Amino acid sequence: MKPSTTWIEISELDANNRAAQPLTFCHRARRSRCTIAAFLATAIVVFLAAPAFAQEDADFAKANQEFAQRHFKEAISDYETLIRNGQWSANVFYDLGNAYFRARDFGRAILNYERALALERHHPEATANLQIARDEAGALELRPSWPERYLQIASVSQYSIAAAVAFWVAAFCLAALVLTRRRSTAMFSLFIVMLLVLAGSIFATWQLERGSKGDALAIVTGKNVQARLATADTANAVLALPPGSEIKVLSTRGDWIYAALPNNLRGWIPAKHAEQVRL
Amino acid sequence: MGRAFLIGIAAGIFAAGFAFADSPSVTAVLSNSETAVGETVELQIKVTGPGDPQAPEQIPAEGLEIYRTGEDASSEIKFGAGGMQVTRSVTYTYTVLPKSAGRFTIPPQTIRVGNNSLPTPELTLNVADAPGRSSGARPSRGTQSQSVRASDLVFAELVVPKKTAFVGEIVPVQIRMGFDPRVRPRLIEPPEITGQGFTAQKLQEGGQNSETINGRPYDVVTYKTAIAAARAGKFEVGPVKARAQLLVPRARSAPRPRSRSPFDLFDLNDPFSDPFFSNPFAQMGERRDVEIKSEPVALEVKPLPPNAPPSFSGAIGNLTMTTDAKPNSVQVGDPITVTTAISGRGNFDRVNAPVVEDERGWHKYPPSSKFKQDDEVGISGTKTFETVLSPNEKKQSLPLLAFSYFDPVKEQYVTLHSETIPITVQGGTAATQNIATTQPGSPTPAIGTRPASAAQSTAKAQDILYQLTERPRTAESFAPIYTHRVFWGAQGIPLLALVGFAVWRIRKAGINNRQAQRIAALHHEAAELMHNLRRKDASPREYYAEASRIIRVKTALASASSGIDPNIVDAETAAHTFHLNSDERDRLRRLFEQSDEWQYSGAHNGPGRISQENRREVLELIENLK
Repeated sequence: MKPSTTWIEISELDANNRAAQPLTFCHRARRSRCTIAAFLATAIVVFLAAPAFAQEDADFAKANQEFAQRHFKEAISDYETLIRNGQWSANVFYDLGNAYFRARDFGRAILNYERALALERHHPEATANLQIARDEAGALELRPSWPERYLQIASVSQYSIAAAVAFWVAAFCLAALVLTRRRSTAMFSLFIVMLLVLAGSIFATWQLERGSKGDALAIVTGKNVQARLATADTANAVLALPPGSEIKVLSTRGDWIYAALPNNLRGWIPAKHAEQVRL
Repeated sequence: MGRAFLIGIAAGIFAAGFAFADSPSVTAVLSNSETAVGETVELQIKVTGPGDPQAPEQIPAEGLEIYRTGEDASSEIKFGAGGMQVTRSVTYTYTVLPKSAGRFTIPPQTIRVGNNSLPTPELTLNVADAPGRSSGARPSRGTQSQSVRASDLVFAELVVPKKTAFVGEIVPVQIRMGFDPRVRPRLIEPPEITGQGFTAQKLQEGGQNSETINGRPYDVVTYKTAIAAARAGKFEVGPVKARAQLLVPRARSAPRPRSRSPFDLFDLNDPFSDPFFSNPFAQMGERRDVEIKSEPVALEVKPLPPNAPPSFSGAIGNLTMTTDAKPNSVQVGDPITVTTAISGRGNFDRVNAPVVEDERGWHKYPPSSKFKQDDEVGISGTKTFETVLSPNEKKQSLPLLAFSYFDPVKEQYVTLHSETIPITVQGGTAATQNIATTQPGSPTPAIGTRPASAAQSTAKAQDILYQLTERPRTAESFAPIYTHRVFWGAQGIPLLALVGFAVWRIRKAGINNRQAQRIAALHHEAAELMHNLRRKDASPREYYAEASRIIRVKTALASASSGIDPNIVDAETAAHTFHLNSDERDRLRRLFEQSDEWQYSGAHNGPGRISQENRREVLELIENLK
């Protein structure tokens, strides 16, 4: 639409005007050409990308079809292909979780429900099915710390945005306080409040990122997994972890993960028996 | 005075006679120039002379580990012809541990004594492959025969109270490790129970006491743990293995009769009969790594009897159960926290939450558990489970909870049931957990609504919700927003705005500053002109010029916000600015005319002086301009 508007503007100019304002005319002409080029480029990108989108939609539909026909292994394979291709969405992970649930692989079902919820905190279907899968598997959950429980009212991204907004408002307040002769109490109060909001948001971000649902959250996907005191299969067991149990990865050594476990325990588990929620 | 003089002379004589005997010197000597791999020898470096010497803590040498293990300082006073002489010497003792066989050289070491640096002589050590076999041509002198058997100084014992157990049953185990008090043990590797077919819990130190065993005193350290057999059969538990570093008498190169130790009352071949222990200053002991090992203990493990109850999760022991629930009065769908405490003695890692016998009409959430142990190894304690139950319909009591365990004493399964806990549930019909319905276009049927009747008729497990067929066009990301470049790029907008704001404020402040300076200058000029007008010696030309100027300045000041230049102010502008009436306006206009007249027509066209009345009139007009 932009190019036509530009041409109308140009057509409205009379010949004298064009002669009197050659620079403006040239500038507008160049701008209109740029706009057309941008429009064409976008159209080409959309044109080229459209088949890819269509292909992914077809793959997704095929996976759903496999699921409907109770071909759960095929459905899992199709959903996994989509995910490997970077088509991450809460619904894809949720559907994959359902496929694993039907295949009685509760550990991976829970993992994918968790991934769906990591992408979309308020995904009601994933929340409901996660609970059911946990009931089925008897999975253990990490208990969040008390600050984390209260801070979960918002997501890390929301706290990050709040921190950014508070920072800039505080910066403007500070600039106004420094550069203005009259320093109002209201401005100073706003500055202090914004600093507190900034500090609170940073703390919340940090707390949530290192908390039980943070970056290090992993799910036990193997069966009969025992957390052990040392990195050996013969080491003493700390806790039996049903599939789907939550752990927090603290460090990795070779094929072993040192993790915080439910019930405030810590232990080593084989890395192949757990997957991190965040990809 | 005379007495003080005598004391001074005596002190001078004393000081002259008091001298350190020699210049500093260093000697180094090995206790034995031949040894075997793993057998230590002693290196002594003796520094004689004034000042505090500085010797290295360790000496680097290929094939050898040399660490300083002692330091002994002594002083000797001699009275001779040269007066009193003080000889101070420090002996540093190093333990040399050969790592491999061969001929090794201990390089010269530089010892700093005061301002002097003294080198030690180079020393050579022949190391044989094994004890008693020299790498050189020298025949063995039978050092092994003189070495002390470290096993006589320590012992380990595994105490298993039971000879039979069931699979999974926790068997408490004690490990006792005794050390001769004189060996000053240092544990390198803690005791570990070896063997297969059982798991052992973390070792806990139980205490330390002194005991006399076979006439010898021992410091006995007790460790506690528990084992659980993983399968049935006959096992050997242990042996327990540990490694410790002990201080044992050093092996000597030549046989020498030795006296009996005062500890060796019964001639038990006590290794402490070695002279090392009778002469603590000899520093001839060495630290040696010793493996301590106990005898294994046989354990017969029986399988659990068949036909375990459904609520049996593997718990074995002697346990009791108590149950409590809060709140007792709820609405349909509200959570009730049921707290179950299982106490006693047993394998608590296999104690799971009690099962709800009849889940119909209830929604059960996964339980959480907490264990409080009453002993060091966690065999005895209380495991508390919190299970949230939510009634889907009206109920009068909580469902019964069942917990089963195997009693190894009675050799039978025991099932515990919770007492009936009455509750009040208010509200309508059963709440449904899954209220979703089939979505249009969904490839699978929705498994949403679960009617109350269905819930009542069967305790069927819940089913998951439907598939979702919509997919967003753009892929989502797990990374939080602050890791995205776009987020940080977007911060450029407020940054630019902030910079713009700051520039605007600074510029505005500069403009305001110039304006203020201009106004101040005008005020100053106005004050000066008023002062001049009140002077009586001014000529009419000057007087009217200054009068018109002051009116211009005042007008410019009155309209400071519009920044009027005083030079362009005329009578009309001034009259308009000060809202003068017609009379004042005429007077002002006349004043400007007279000023122009005096300015441009010359002084000769009027009187030489201004009358008093005119002065008052002009001043009054100017002062009224506000």
